Amino acid sequence: MNAPTPAAPILYAEGIGKAFVSGRVRTQVLDGLSLGIGPGELTLISGPSGCGKSTLLAILSGLQRVDSGRVFALGSELGLLDGHALERFRLRHTGFVFQGFNLFPALSALEQVELPLHYLGLPREQARARAAQSLDEVGLAHRMRLRPAELSGGEKQRVAIARALAKQPELLFADEPTSALDAANGQTVIDILHRIARSHGTTVLCVSHDPRLIGHADRVLAMEDGRILSDRRAAPPAATIEGTPP
Amino acid sequence: MVALARKTLVYEWRRFLPAILAVGFAGLLQLLQAALVLGIFGSASVYITGSAADLWVGYPGTQSVNLGRPIDPNVEMRLLMDPAVARVEPFIWLDADWRGQGETGGVSVFVSGIDPRADGLMFAHALPPALRARLNEPDAVIVDRADIDKLGVGVGGTAAINGRRVRVVGVSSGLRALGGVNVVSSLDTARRLDSDPTDGDRPTYLVARLRDPAQAQAVARRLRGGGAFGPYEVWTADSFARRSVMYWMFDTGAGAGVLFLAGIVFLVGAVITSQTLVAAVAGSVREYATLNALGVGVAALRWVVLEQAFWVGALGLLGATVLGAGLLLLARSQDVPVVLNATATIACVVLAMGLAAVSGLAAMRSLRRADPATLLR
Ligand SMILES: Nc1ncnc2c1ncn2[C@@H]1O[C@H](COP(=O)(O)OP(=O)(O)OP(=O)(O)O)[C@@H](O)[C@H]1O
Ligand SMILES: [Mg+2]
Repeated sequence: MNAPTPAAPILYAEGIGKAFVSGRVRTQVLDGLSLGIGPGELTLISGPSGCGKSTLLAILSGLQRVDSGRVFALGSELGLLDGHALERFRLRHTGFVFQGFNLFPALSALEQVELPLHYLGLPREQARARAAQSLDEVGLAHRMRLRPAELSGGEKQRVAIARALAKQPELLFADEPTSALDAANGQTVIDILHRIARSHGTTVLCVSHDPRLIGHADRVLAMEDGRILSDRRAAPPAATIEGTPP
Repeated sequence: MVALARKTLVYEWRRFLPAILAVGFAGLLQLLQAALVLGIFGSASVYITGSAADLWVGYPGTQSVNLGRPIDPNVEMRLLMDPAVARVEPFIWLDADWRGQGETGGVSVFVSGIDPRADGLMFAHALPPALRARLNEPDAVIVDRADIDKLGVGVGGTAAINGRRVRVVGVSSGLRALGGVNVVSSLDTARRLDSDPTDGDRPTYLVARLRDPAQAQAVARRLRGGGAFGPYEVWTADSFARRSVMYWMFDTGAGAGVLFLAGIVFLVGAVITSQTLVAAVAGSVREYATLNALGVGVAALRWVVLEQAFWVGALGLLGATVLGAGLLLLARSQDVPVVLNATATIACVVLAMGLAAVSGLAAMRSLRRADPATLLR
């Protein structure tokens, strides 16, 4: 049975292979994997520890290079871009949310979000307004002036999401965004990611063990040993809000 | 722009403190050393800095005041022919042997024969007119108050210089010499004390006052020309003083010592500062990696580190300036010879900022560990 694809993939991997060599041991993490991710979807990758999920995410987001195969994102072949061009690509088109929050201890929530926007070339006022808007969107409008030391874990992760979101990226990558959080905070983060895909049309690719995320994803990819075992789409009512039937 | 470098420095000041202290102490140590050396060796040019002359005329190639050789007294005419020159005065400098009344044995003294008139140029800053007037008495000499014990004589006492009798008619301050004792007399007395017959009646130097001291360099260049009076050379007071100090600094090896210590201070300071900055970068490496993942270029991140190094240098220097000013004032009040000039100060600032810059460059290298792929595991 073919998995129905609502639109042409915005992110596309073709026969990618990746191996790590440590000492004399060579680990083939990904081997001839192909994958297409449609625009505006929340796609979840799950699978056992060490199966290569994070590696796949790093490759699709232009943080790591492949040994073989090709990756196309938004029409560019990432393998053909040099380091500088990859940085430009990530600056313009991608956002990241990591398991750790990675916030600068010295900066307030507003400044954390504002910082990348300056490098994007936005004027000061506009950067500040956009940062404030993003923080408002993740429900932190009233905590903008606080530093990480004064924020809870869930709030810190929301600041990290706002930082990624404020760039208005087409692609948002998240690696275990809820694993450092308790149930309630995890749920909040999941809701926010879901909403980002819906309301901004952002393509969200998320790696997680968290079963709660499955209910919110448009598509769930199960990975094992560097291969995709199953590719399931969520029930039609959730997925066809803006989808066009084939 | 969010001032990441500055805000981090303020927020995590404890982490940066060792670097700031290292830069500060490096600057301070260097500053104090320079001030001490300049203070001590500055007395090599006390003849020049204690006098009101704008130009010094002496034997060509003279490297330091104490190395002068007699010149033709008629050069005075050549100097006075220039309309910019207001006054010319001879100055005799002699190396001599002092025998006091006490058990002091022979003391090596430097006799300065000067024009004792009230508005004379030589030692105008060290000898008040009343004291100068006493030099008109035959065989009268003046010495520095601090040298009295060394000379084994009191005011009013007599002694012998080169076997000829002299009488101490007064003491002053600001006459201390380097490597000997300064004795000031009138030109006539100095000529009598001179045991070298080849010197004749010739002065060691001619010093001149200009109508406009600001013209000193131009006039010195102009006067250097004519060779009708035998060999002579013209220096501005500033350049001759500097020449004398430099000669002593490098002749005694003190200059090499200063440079050597500067090197050591730079090295030690750079090691501490760079290690501190490296640790600071390492402490934020995940945050830097996240910025890089979001597309902020490595070059931009390097600037952040360099800016941090700059602020560390600036803060260290600020501390060194405050502390240094206090210590110099204290030293002055205790009669420790300390002198600071613009060149030495700028050199210290350059050393401290250079140290910070080198450390910043070293710390930049640890940004290589900010690989965003490591955030995905
Ligand atoms: N830089 C590296 N050097 C060597 N081996 C690596 C490197 N990165 C990943 N690996 C190996 O590749 C395999 C896949 O790693 P990856 O991080 O993609 O797993 P994962 O599916 O994300 O696991 P988890 O769910 O535990 O995060 C692991 O066996 C890991 O040891
Ligand atoms: Mg992982």
